[in-house]
Amino acid sequence: MLSDSLLAKSIDKILEKTEKEILINLENSFSTAKQTLDDSIPKLEQEFEKIISDGKKEAEKIEKQIIGSSDLEVRNKQLLALEMAIGEVFTKALDQIANTKHNEDYSNLIKTLLDESTKILGTTKVIVYTNSKDKDLVQSLLSKYTGAELSSQSINCLGGVIVKSKDGAMKFDNTIDARIQRLKPLIRKQISSKFGVGN
Amino acid sequence: MTAEGGVQYSKIAEIKGPLVVVDDVENAAFDELVEIETKEGERRLGKVLEVGNGKAIVQVFEGTTGLSISGTSAKFVGKLMEMPVSKEVLGRVFDGLGRPKDGLPDPIADKFIDINGEPMNPEQREYPKDFIQTGVSVIDGMITLVRGQKLPIFSGSGMSHNILAAQIARQANVVGTKDDFAVVFAAIGVQYSEAEYFRRSLEESGALKRSVLFLNTADDPAIERIITPRVALTVAEYLAFDLGMHVLVILTDMTNYAEALREISAAREEVPGRKGYPGYLYTDLSTIYERAGKLNGRKGSVTQVPILSMPSDDITHPIPDLTGYITEGQVVLGRDLFRQGVYPPINILMSLSRLMKDGIGAGSTREDHSEVSNQVYDAYSRAQEVRALAGIVGKAGLTDIDLKYMDVGDVFEKEFLTQATDENRTIEETLNLLWKIVSKLPKNEITKIKDKYIDQYYREN
Repeated sequence: MLSDSLLAKSIDKILEKTEKEILINLENSFSTAKQTLDDSIPKLEQEFEKIISDGKKEAEKIEKQIIGSSDLEVRNKQLLALEMAIGEVFTKALDQIANTKHNEDYSNLIKTLLDESTKILGTTKVIVYTNSKDKDLVQSLLSKYTGAELSSQSINCLGGVIVKSKDGAMKFDNTIDARIQRLKPLIRKQISSKFGVGN
Repeated sequence: MTAEGGVQYSKIAEIKGPLVVVDDVENAAFDELVEIETKEGERRLGKVLEVGNGKAIVQVFEGTTGLSISGTSAKFVGKLMEMPVSKEVLGRVFDGLGRPKDGLPDPIADKFIDINGEPMNPEQREYPKDFIQTGVSVIDGMITLVRGQKLPIFSGSGMSHNILAAQIARQANVVGTKDDFAVVFAAIGVQYSEAEYFRRSLEESGALKRSVLFLNTADDPAIERIITPRVALTVAEYLAFDLGMHVLVILTDMTNYAEALREISAAREEVPGRKGYPGYLYTDLSTIYERAGKLNGRKGSVTQVPILSMPSDDITHPIPDLTGYITEGQVVLGRDLFRQGVYPPINILMSLSRLMKDGIGAGSTREDHSEVSNQVYDAYSRAQEVRALAGIVGKAGLTDIDLKYMDVGDVFEKEFLTQATDENRTIEETLNLLWKIVSKLPKNEITKIKDKYIDQYYREN
């Protein structure tokens, strides 16, 4: 009987001890888990903020890309449309010049072009080329330039002259076409400003 | 611009390399623009290099291949080479001579400007002191670029300088101001694939809208390369000083420019200088680099980042050597870092931005910038020494503090230096990374930073 009660006491003691140990372990595990959770909160918050800021950056980047490329596309289409309009204005203007009737002003213009050309070449001993339409006019003006000859060959141009030195070493293109070509960038600017661009 | 044209001469005395000698020429001027016309009616541009005794030596930009003495004529246009400029040039792609390469018409010019530019009056120059954020940590944090500075990148063949150049072009920005920012990008003698990369990279990032590209590819005539940086800088000066924008000009690769200069010099039979480059290489380079700066009373600025690949990685080669005399510091790419796969492989120990001190600190970046940057520079330098020592005695022979410095070196290269090609870091992020490196050291090793900053930013690991 005595030994039975001792045994029961020992078992109770062991059970009690084990229970205490388990409880302590549980408490420790709980506090460790809680600590880990607490520790991970700032890390998670940091990670969350990083994801958000990376996302914002990416969104900004994509927004920039979309806006940038669509702005450029619009601008380029506008440039092409403007160029087409300028081209049309040019064609009409050239047609108008080609169909202008020759009057005294035109005769003065050809004289100025001849003066300019012989002055730049530094000689009047030149061969002058012009289009078939202007041949008679040029011929009548050449008498004022000693040694100047009109070529039998006609050139294709709106008007004006090409003057070549007799030794063939120098040539000066003073046709209306060449002059328009040289001033084309300025004329384009003026036309575009009429369309309200570049003001 | 006048309606009057120039005289066309048909007496060609000689064609020598990229040069054409025209006989019986009167009234030609130095640097005058010349139109060379072939027998077939093809037109090429050139400029007068020398005049005298009835002869003119003309440098043909598009090369003389296919030209013959008979049948070729030279028209002296009566003006210098000019670049048409307007705000419309932004977002456009041009070739090395400034002609549209994007299928769009010539820009409607607001002005025609001589491509040689006008030298800046030294008295009118304003000292550069405003920060430009490139988004590349190592540049922003340790070799800071400031508006109006000229800071070259010294690279070597095959290294990632073009990727870096494109990244800077995409990301560069001015912070703390609403002023407009633009990038003028001149590719000089680059491969077609690289030229396409630059164009695509700017297009896809949406940065083309604020950029102007000049592309001279390797198969374009070498002589064109003489003009490319000049047209680019002409546009940059217009955007900066007429439109008040802050302009970053990236010129890559200046070595190709110098080689084109050497080609012309050899054809002119000039006495060669070092490695065959002309004796005036320094003067010629300065006419390009000195076009960077800020002017008193004007809003804009021109900042230059010329990139050059050093033949055989030789920093004493005449091109980097003479460039270094003119510019305000240098960014050197390291072959070792490149081989390790580090991008951008910038060797900070050989790099320097001479104007950095004036562009950083309170009011522009952050008050601790200079000190934390100096500390990291010092620590990385020590890390390199420790690495060399470890190579001899082994890691086991190192002290604890040596090991900490080795760790600093690794963190520096892996977390600070290494950056993705599309990663755009703010200056704040860059400085925080610098502090992360400094925080790897014990406090008693931090000797270059004031205690108040240590208390504020140091984070014990």
